[in-house]
Amino acid sequence: MRPGFLLGEVGNGLRRNFSMFVSVVLVTMVSLFFLGVGLLAQAQVNTAKGEWYDRVQVSIFLCTPDSTDAPGCAGGAVTPEQRDQVESDLQGLEPLVTEYFYESNEEAYERFTEQFRNSSALDSVPQESIPASFRVNLSDPSRYEVIRAAFEQAPGVDSVEDQREVVDRLFAFLGALSWGALALAVAMVVCAVLLISTTIRLTAWTRRRETAIQRMVGASAFSIHLPFILETVAAALLGAALAVALLWATVRFGISGFLSELLAGESGLVSLVGERDLWLITPFLVGGAILLAVVTAWMALLRHVRV
Amino acid sequence: MITMERVSLRYAKGDPWALEDVDLDVTRGEFCFVVGESGSGKSSLLRLVILEQRPTSGRVLVAGHDLGELAPRRVHLLRRQIGTVFQDFRLLSGKTVAQNVAYVLQVLGASRHEIKQRVPETLALVGLDGKGKRLPHELSGGEQQRVAIARAMVNKPPILLADEPTGNLDPDTSQDIVAILDRINRAGTTVVMATHDTTIVDRFRKRVVQLHDGVVVRDQAEGGYREVVAP
Ligand SMILES: Nc1ncnc2c1ncn2[C@@H]1O[C@H](COP(=O)(O)OP(=O)(O)OP(=O)(O)O)[C@@H](O)[C@H]1O
Ligand SMILES: [Mg+2]
Repeated sequence: MRPGFLLGEVGNGLRRNFSMFVSVVLVTMVSLFFLGVGLLAQAQVNTAKGEWYDRVQVSIFLCTPDSTDAPGCAGGAVTPEQRDQVESDLQGLEPLVTEYFYESNEEAYERFTEQFRNSSALDSVPQESIPASFRVNLSDPSRYEVIRAAFEQAPGVDSVEDQREVVDRLFAFLGALSWGALALAVAMVVCAVLLISTTIRLTAWTRRRETAIQRMVGASAFSIHLPFILETVAAALLGAALAVALLWATVRFGISGFLSELLAGESGLVSLVGERDLWLITPFLVGGAILLAVVTAWMALLRHVRV
Repeated sequence: MITMERVSLRYAKGDPWALEDVDLDVTRGEFCFVVGESGSGKSSLLRLVILEQRPTSGRVLVAGHDLGELAPRRVHLLRRQIGTVFQDFRLLSGKTVAQNVAYVLQVLGASRHEIKQRVPETLALVGLDGKGKRLPHELSGGEQQRVAIARAMVNKPPILLADEPTGNLDPDTSQDIVAILDRINRAGTTVVMATHDTTIVDRFRKRVVQLHDGVVVRDQAEGGYREVVAP
């Protein structure tokens, strides 16, 4: 069969079964989209875990005039002496404390207003109620308890917080997202397989006269099957392209845009999945789509198109 | 060209034999009618030749190939050696006459040049020159059958099988069709035609193989439809 004639046959087939073609495209798109989300979330968990754990800090928040609950805040807002005491205690905890810096009340307020610049409800928060804090890096983040025990009750200290909790919550969320997306992807792939089989059966039926003639005049099984397979691959490729575009939009505007800004504000952590990760999984998504199309179409052809 | 040795066929265990102990030898360039009442096994016999069906026992040889030893993926090569025509024409209704005939060559990968040359040539052979642009439903039954013959012959197979090609046609048109097959035969193609059209068989005086309940009951050169023994 010549390429021109073959393309003509494929084009005819697509036109005749256009609605089936569209549904195969959409089902492929949705299944690959979920697969992509699952893979990206997984990649995020795996690559970011080490990096983030190294960078997370313990925050020691100092008393504000408002804090009354903590035992260390019995005397109201932190005094400069109390603050200096906390700092010298921190120095005494080296080498567990590798690094620390002080964020003053003014700096904290600035960061706070920057972070929530779009929410008017928080405009009225007074500067004094934003606590100053020590940001502490540990040589071994899992020994957070040592810091907590040392400072929780200290005078002038409101609370001690481990950022790892925030990060762990994020990882738990990403993990659930990843498995949920992969489960949906599996369900959608099953849909895709069934839909492709049905499409092939229908296409084989609408084209039974052509197929019978091809058989009769001695076309090989391969050349009889080829247009069916190419049509399915075309649909799957288009679906894969749309899925990648959708993933790109999600990464670009969803994660890189919205989520990482939120996280950067919250914890100073960035490096969420980016476009680079997407380009890394793209060949697998496209390859998977082609493989799925070829294998499913071929199995369906063996059942429904006699040669 | 076509040889059958003790060929029996039954479609399922417990069914009666559709063909039983058939011995047949059709030589190159022969024209052979296969006759018999409905259900006698004519179509089954032709189906064995194009490997649409494999015999339950016995040996079939076509154009030098023992079909029992032909691998499934080489069956299409056998079919290229055989043109086939049916009672119901089996044209593609959306394609013109010329496209229907060209389709065969396209499927088999012929060049555009070859197609341009072979299609009008073959349409002329069956007396359809000038009607290449018509659609099948714009043709009479006889003309549609000519298109089917053209399609069967366009890649010049050495064998032509016709299963009741005149079954849907009036007597005059039937004669024209068989005359075309006769002409094709004279040009060197081996023709086997299944029919129960007595007039045709009596008129053309070719070899007649008569089947009855799957058994060859007569094999006569230049026979008529009901002749038992030539005087
Ligand atoms: N696909 C099939 N499955 C089962 N039995 C079949 C099949 N095709 C034919 N037969 C049986 O085989 C026998 C021979 O049928 P065949 O079609 O060869 O007869 P025929 O001579 O061509 O008849 P007709 O003149 O009506 O076309 C019949 O008894 C028929 O019922
Ligand atoms: Mg029949």
